[in-house]
Amino acid sequence: MDTLLWIGSAVAAILVIAVAGALLFVVRRYRSERGAEPRQLLSGHGLQLRVGGALAFLALVLFVLGVVFTGNARESRATGSSGLSSLKGEPLRIEATGQQWLWRYDYPNGAFSYYELVVPADTAIELELESTDVVHTWNVEELARKADAVPGKTNRVVFIADEEGTFGGSSATLSGQSYASMKTAIRVVSPDEYEDFVETRKEEIDAAEERVADLIAEGETP
Amino acid sequence: MSPRPRPELVADGYSPSRPRWQQLTTSADHKDIGQILICGALGFLFLALVELVLMRIQLLVPENTFLDPVTFNRMLSLYGTTSIFLFALPLVLGFFYYVAPLQIGARGTALPRLGQVGMGLWVAGATVLYAGFLFTPSEAGINPLSPLSERAFLSNNGVDAWAAAAGLATLGFVLLSINLLTTLRTMRAPGLAWRRMPLFAWAATVSSWLMIFIGPVLLAALTMLMIDRNYEGTFFADGSGGAPLLWQHLSWIFFTGSYMLILIFAFGAISEITSAFSRKPHFNRPVTMASLAAIAVIGTLAWMQNMLTAPIGIGWMYYAMLMALALLVPFGLVIFNLISTLAGGTLRMRAPLLFALGAILSISIGLASELVHSLVAAAWHLRNTTDATAATHFALVGGAVLGGFAALHYWFPKMTGRTMGESLGRISFWTILVGLLLGFAPLFFAGTLEGQVVDAYKYFADDDVTAYNVISSIGVLILSVGILLNVANAIFSRTNGPAAGHDPWGGETLEWFTLSPPEPHNFDVLPDVRSAHPLRDIREAIGHRSRRSEQAASRESQPVA
Repeated sequence: MDTLLWIGSAVAAILVIAVAGALLFVVRRYRSERGAEPRQLLSGHGLQLRVGGALAFLALVLFVLGVVFTGNARESRATGSSGLSSLKGEPLRIEATGQQWLWRYDYPNGAFSYYELVVPADTAIELELESTDVVHTWNVEELARKADAVPGKTNRVVFIADEEGTFGGSSATLSGQSYASMKTAIRVVSPDEYEDFVETRKEEIDAAEERVADLIAEGETP
Repeated sequence: MSPRPRPELVADGYSPSRPRWQQLTTSADHKDIGQILICGALGFLFLALVELVLMRIQLLVPENTFLDPVTFNRMLSLYGTTSIFLFALPLVLGFFYYVAPLQIGARGTALPRLGQVGMGLWVAGATVLYAGFLFTPSEAGINPLSPLSERAFLSNNGVDAWAAAAGLATLGFVLLSINLLTTLRTMRAPGLAWRRMPLFAWAATVSSWLMIFIGPVLLAALTMLMIDRNYEGTFFADGSGGAPLLWQHLSWIFFTGSYMLILIFAFGAISEITSAFSRKPHFNRPVTMASLAAIAVIGTLAWMQNMLTAPIGIGWMYYAMLMALALLVPFGLVIFNLISTLAGGTLRMRAPLLFALGAILSISIGLASELVHSLVAAAWHLRNTTDATAATHFALVGGAVLGGFAALHYWFPKMTGRTMGESLGRISFWTILVGLLLGFAPLFFAGTLEGQVVDAYKYFADDDVTAYNVISSIGVLILSVGILLNVANAIFSRTNGPAAGHDPWGGETLEWFTLSPPEPHNFDVLPDVRSAHPLRDIREAIGHRSRRSEQAASRESQPVA
């Protein structure tokens, strides 16, 4: 992904420098102060065809590079040897739900977390992005691509985190008043820690739900 | 400005000619309507600058509290709407409307009342948008994406006012374009075939077609939005069969088309200016004409370039990338031909040419960075970062402000009979260029390297973007000063500028054949058009004739031997 960004930026810089250089050259070279008669040059179609052909070739090369690098970026590597082993080749599927102004993550065993996503290192992750209200853009620059969570649609993001650590991110589509503060984070941990985390979370959530159910049964408002 | 007094019948019972303001507001003349659009657009440019500067002050330091988020979002929405619907598009159409009929030797327009209604609708739209201040302006952003724009999420009337304003203005643009296109098709002077069209008039033709296609698309979307908000419709509401993405498709078709329209205008104006100020014909007219048409078609077809992070199929993304990259060919050829027109000429470095060269540079920067945005995997990084803000501003400020000011300096003598101040013009040009580079180049780095996101009312100290934003805010202030200087120049020169005469630049197209400002009927007589540069033909014919008579005179004066 990054490689394509830098190739594109380099091409863009070269094009800008070419235009700026050409402008600077004609302005310095062809001042009226030099006193010559303007040469009434007209271009034949051959020259136009060559220039247009060169530009078309550049566009085609960029298109092919774009397709190749985008194809690579869409395919996640398989889970590595030090990754989560219980998946049998499948990626770890986690649901990410955007809502004004918070991200919720639902793990396969029924546990969930808000704001922070916990994932095992060296494991293929597939995020299924959804939204319950307006359009949000999920955006954790260092680990994965940006993608929109649109209500009624599912958008998929695949990534794999090589190193343990915490990576911050923010939303990238205006979603209302608190959009600027709608942050998220990914904490990458070892597979064992991940298993511990989701199990503990699941137990806590179940216990809390039971407690609430009991309270309601006793006629109290939780 | 005011035309010289015409002979009047003075008799009992006849009222004298009406005051100027009454004439202007009831006139269907294309020159009056064009001037109202241009002056109005420059006024709204001032408002857009105020809104931009307020936002940049808020973004001067991390976690600033100058504006609260709701006010910031309102400024953002107003800024976007004002700069596209109330500044750029009316400025562009105003110049087309004033200049193009003159360039084709028409004595008026084909459907003058339709154009008058169009201008009136635009004024109504502008009034509705700013009347929104009386209650609450929209908070939904530059392009209010559904479902945020639905009543469930923004229940006040801001979005309704926005939709009404955008709809009225767009309908006005469509009517103006219909009249312009009809005029350009049916009222060209004898001998003025399409292939001899001045490039600016050709740009007007292409732009009118484009507006007639994209305007109704936005009108349809706005109607659906209004039904959704006020009559429990479900066009864009998820859950009852609606599709939020539908709004994105429809609105991006319009906004992408408008982007292309502004650039086509700029290239049309620049091609007239480069030709006149280098004293050379355009390098290759047929290719430039074809390229301008291709930009309109291919550019608009690339609308999904704005949706590369949305849940659309990968095939559509590749299609958008292909269209956006294909634009490299027509844009590249136009810029190549513009610079080649200058080469070998004798350049008079006057203000119109300076602004035109600045516009080429700025548009090139914008388009080159747009190129990176069209590469799908790169867009997955860059989308909705300030890098996109910078790219759009370089292209559109280059097209509408620098290109628009180039056109203003170039055609101001025709409209007013006076030239704009040259030294103030130069000063304002350099101020604008420095302001533009300082104001938006840092955002490329903040967006690409640090991933600063767009539209957010604040950023945090640990985002590492403070320095970029400080420079950007200072740059925007300088840019605003430059723009205000140039507008002040125009206001002052309108009454006090040096008298220009009917053809101050040695132009080659028919608008320079008539008086400055032109009489209401534009032309008393018209020359036969036999090439793309009728005025040069006339000058050459006069040159031949005077040389012949000189020779004849010298023969006669020789002593008889």
